[in-house]
Formats: sequence, structure tokens, C-alpha cells
Amino acid sequence: MIRTRSTLAVLGLLAAAAARLAAADETCQSPYLPKLVGQEDFVYVWTLGVDGLGDGSDKLVTIGANPARPDYGKVVSTLSVGGRHEAHHGGFTDDRRALWIGGLDDSAIFVLDVASDPAHPKLVKTIRDFSAKSGGVVGPHTFYALPGRMLITGLSNAKDGGGRTGLVEYSNQGDFIRTIWMPAGAEYGYDARVNADLNRMLTSSFTGRVNYMRPLGELLKDAAAMKNFGNTMVVWDFHTRKPLQTLAVPGAPLEIRWALQPEHHYAFTASALTARLWGVFRTPDGRFEAVDLAPIGDPSKAPLPVDISLSADDRHLFVSTFGDGSVHVFDVSDARQPREVLVQKIGGQLNMVSESWDGRRVYFTSSLLANWDKSGPDGEQFLRAFDWDGKALAPRFAIDFQAERLGRPHIMNFGALGFYQGRVAGGATGAPGGGG
Amino acid sequence: MTRRIARAALAAVALAGGGAGAHEIAPPPAPPAYALPTPGSYELPAISRVPDFTLLDERGAPAPLLGLASDQVAVVSFVYSRCTGGQGCPLALATFQGLDRKLAADPALAGRVRLATVSFDPANDTPERMAALRERLRPAADWRFLTAASPGAIAPVLAAFGQDALPLVDERGAGLGLFRHVLKVFLVDASGAVRNVYSAGFLSPDLLLVDARTVLLESGHRAALAGP
Repeated sequence: MIRTRSTLAVLGLLAAAAARLAAADETCQSPYLPKLVGQEDFVYVWTLGVDGLGDGSDKLVTIGANPARPDYGKVVSTLSVGGRHEAHHGGFTDDRRALWIGGLDDSAIFVLDVASDPAHPKLVKTIRDFSAKSGGVVGPHTFYALPGRMLITGLSNAKDGGGRTGLVEYSNQGDFIRTIWMPAGAEYGYDARVNADLNRMLTSSFTGRVNYMRPLGELLKDAAAMKNFGNTMVVWDFHTRKPLQTLAVPGAPLEIRWALQPEHHYAFTASALTARLWGVFRTPDGRFEAVDLAPIGDPSKAPLPVDISLSADDRHLFVSTFGDGSVHVFDVSDARQPREVLVQKIGGQLNMVSESWDGRRVYFTSSLLANWDKSGPDGEQFLRAFDWDGKALAPRFAIDFQAERLGRPHIMNFGALGFYQGRVAGGATGAPGGGG
Repeated sequence: MTRRIARAALAAVALAGGGAGAHEIAPPPAPPAYALPTPGSYELPAISRVPDFTLLDERGAPAPLLGLASDQVAVVSFVYSRCTGGQGCPLALATFQGLDRKLAADPALAGRVRLATVSFDPANDTPERMAALRERLRPAADWRFLTAASPGAIAPVLAAFGQDALPLVDERGAGLGLFRHVLKVFLVDASGAVRNVYSAGFLSPDLLLVDARTVLLESGHRAALAGP
């Protein structure tokens, strides 16, 4: 059965490598999380509800992704959470048994059991008092597994809906642990990624609720509001959660991806408003420097890079640009001298890009934010799956989320049946023991 | 990536070749590549709370999992003797051995940190097997080796700590006597609060001791525990 090739290796097994697995998609997952290194069976897509489309609710859509299964390229199941919350990002707990997904509008968080029946995730807990418990953090964005707990970055605050925000920790059981507010001079938040080897965490910055819930066309014309975007990244001592350095990265640096290979002590980000690719490099004194590496597309045309995905061998960086619906692939073998090797139109608009660990498959979704998505012909809503051979992207299947009356697809996470069923496939990489 | 895949294949080979009761012990973890924080200079808020449980010690006698006095903390890990994953139980045992030796060399701290290695495979890991493990590791400080009377007796302990342990099966669904689990080590204070959880990414005896000192400093033993 080819199906049993769906294996999930606890990469913590791989002695020295484990501590260096810091980031990115499957390759961007937390270093404390077991990785899916083989063929995924499912792609879980956290999807914004659209009034009048299907049941209109935000939902988790499970897509079959294994060509050996009869549900390949089809919607396997949907799980509506009821209501619209500005569905955005989500992530697994450290044992990969629960998927936490959040809403940027009302800060609702939904905890799903993906272990009992991976084809049909179940809602097991709803957290509606995130803002109250956290002391006023609003807009739960990144959900990042730490041992025994979940690190959640905020985008905003309850006091003024601006960009001042914090990092919030919850136990895997769903109980609030603590809030760490972003430091003075770097108050905005967006993503957080840990390099366990170096005991360093990087955070990035976006904008507050008053901006991200506002129609994009209107926002772009408001010069005062456009000043309220983050221009910083923060380097943290991860163990003590203390800020060490604030780096100037103008124009809303969003997703962060640490390099994965040994001795690659650097990370990438893309600044959305200025359309620049940035590197954050460790310097000989142990500190970090932010370096403007390259333009992404034509910055004068506001391509709006929104997501990035780094291959596990640190060779290729995929950057999706919302404005022109394209993916830009950079060869980052020489991290300080990236070369754009491919630009390909994926759709009318484009947001998330997620790569499999083995680098052979790349998935894209279309939706950015409810009030920022395009209308008209470019406003298509899709998941599109491609094969990647290191040079070209070849289409494999697509799901039209409007025709299927599902909504607007956003973040993707991968699932595999074998992991939860305890199956060990012959000659496969699945193995017990170890920590992620 | 090629190297990673090769290592994964090696891991699979190790899995196939693991004998019952192997009790492998990994090389001691390398010291962290970063500077350790000063004890007490940062916070370790409670992550969750666990009750105490009565288990079986290596003589088969009832014994508390924690059994802490008010000025003690516990470091707990769950293992099983047939585990051969180099970054799983063998790493946990090597880490505990390192901790045990460091505690034994520090009399002020030794009486305040209890180590507990607990089997989540009591069907195989009898008290006799845990005694054999103890004999092999020769603890010098307060390090106990616990198991349970049955799988049913250990299940609520694993649930309370949030420790996963999934029995593995072959293609036909037959049990392999092996488990898939994420290695976790728990630092628990005298009130039963879990103050930190460690996995392979940052499992270091030195870091564990700094955290233990940080928690113990809260209970007013500053002079003895300020540490190096």
C-alpha cells in the first residue's frame, strides 16, 4: 500500500540535526514539533467564511493530498466553527495531536483534535477570552509549538486597536500562562520563530486591528494610517524571553524563516510594503544584523510579498506576492546573494505558500484578509497544488473554494494518517522515541 | 537534506534492530552553545499542575511519583526500556545521568532536586527491569526508577503530564512493543506546578539546573542555592 508511505518522522531522533531544526510550512514548523517528512495525506486549510457562500462560517477544510488515495485532490471534510472571526493562522501542539486556529477579528481560538480521526478533525475547545486573559492582546496570529505549551503572537491590543501588542503563552491544555509585551520602540508584532540551537527567537511586525480590518483601498489612501505599520524585528533570548536587540526592517517584515542546515545561523523575512527580501545574520560577536538583500518583483508596483517558504536544504526560498498573484523563487544557496530563478503567475491573487519537507510539492492559497482580498476576476479563491523539481512548478490539482461554496482559504498545515495510527511502514522514516 | 534523509533511514534501521530491554544510553548531551542565564534572573511561570501519584519503585513497593518536601523540586521523564531512538529515551537517561552526577557534586542542591525516571510501558518494564536500569546507571543523588502495576495505572499519569505514548503496529496491525512519543522532561515544584518542559531541542543538564535553582530561589534558600 503506497498509503503507508505516509510517514512522520520524529526528527528529534536525528541527533545533532534536531537542535538545529528551527524553522519553515512543513519546513517552517517549530523545532519542538515532529515533522512530516514523507507524503502528506491531508492539507488542512483554515478558511474564512463568506456571507451567502455555503454556511457562511469560518471552517477547517481537509483536502486529500496523497495521490495513492481515492480522495486525492478532493474535499475530504469540513468543520465549521460557527460565525466569522477573520480566520487566519494556526499551528499544531508539540505532539501534533491538536491544531490551534485563530481569528484576527474577535480573537477567538479554536482547538481541534486531529489525532483521533485525521480525516475528520473535531472541535474540542473554544477560547473566547484570549484578550481578557492576556491583559488586552488582540489578534492571535502565529501559533507556535513549544514543549507543553503554545506561543501565540498578537497583532494588536484592546485599548486602541493599534499595533502595540505582545506574545502570549498557553498550556497545551488551553490555559493562559503569561503575556510578554513587545519592547518599547518595537511595539508591533506579527510572527515569532525560534532557533533552539542558538537560544534565539526572532519576532516581526505588521499593524493593528484598526488597519487590518479596514478595506485595503481605503487604507492605502490614508497617509496617516499607513504610518502605523511595524518597521522592526526583535532578537530575543528565547529561554528567558528577554529582548536583546531591535533591528530596523522598514515596511512591515512579516513571515520569518530560520535556515535549517547546521551552521546556517541566519533567517529570512520579506517586508510587505517595501517589497524587499531581508536576511537576518548572526555576526561574529553573537549579535544579529538585518541586511536588505533584494527587491521582490517591482517594488514600485506594490507586489505585496505576504508569505515565504524555505526548502529544507536552505537552497530555495519561495515568496508569494499578493498583488500580482505570483510566486518568486530565489536561489538562496549564497544567503547574502539571492538570485531570482523563477517567477510564475499562480492566480489573480496569492497569499500562502507551503512546501513539503522533501521539497517535491508546493501548495498555494489565495486569501489574505477579508477586507483586503480582491473583487472581480482577480478575486478567485483557491488551493492549487504543484509538483516542484527544483526548476519548474507543474500543476497537480486545484480546489475552487468559491465553486465548492467553502469560503476563502488561508493557512495550510499537513496531516498524515500513519502517524496517528502508530503505523511503521517498511523501510520508512517513521520511528518512535525522540523529541521534536 | 540528503544527509537528513540518510539519518532518518539510519533511525529506521536502529528501530528494526532494537532488542528487548536494550536500555540504551546516549552520549551525554553537549553543553549549550549559548551562555546560560543567571539563576533567578528570569521567570518560569506555572504551565500546568499535576497531582502526585502512587507508582511502584524498583523493589515493587508503592512509592510517590513526586513526594516533594516544601523546599524541593522534581525533574521527571517518561521512558520505556525498549526505546532505541537516539534522541528519545537514551537521551533522557544520559541527561539524567549528567544531572545526577552534577547534583551529587553539589551537596546544597542535591537534597533539593529529586529525579524520577518513570516507565510508560509497565507491561514490559517490571520493577525488576527498573532495578536493572538503576543498577546500570548507579545513581549518586536522589534518582528514583518507577513503573506502574499496569498500562491502565500509568495512563492517568501520562494524561496529567501531557505525555503522549502511542503503541506502534506493523502493516498488519500487530503490536511491535514500541512507542511513538515526543521526549519531554518536566520540572515540577513542590506545589505540583510544572515550571518548564524540555525536549530534545534544548535538553541540557546545565540548563535544567539553572532552572531548578531559579525555582528553588523563590522558596527562600538564596544563600545555599545562588550557584556558580
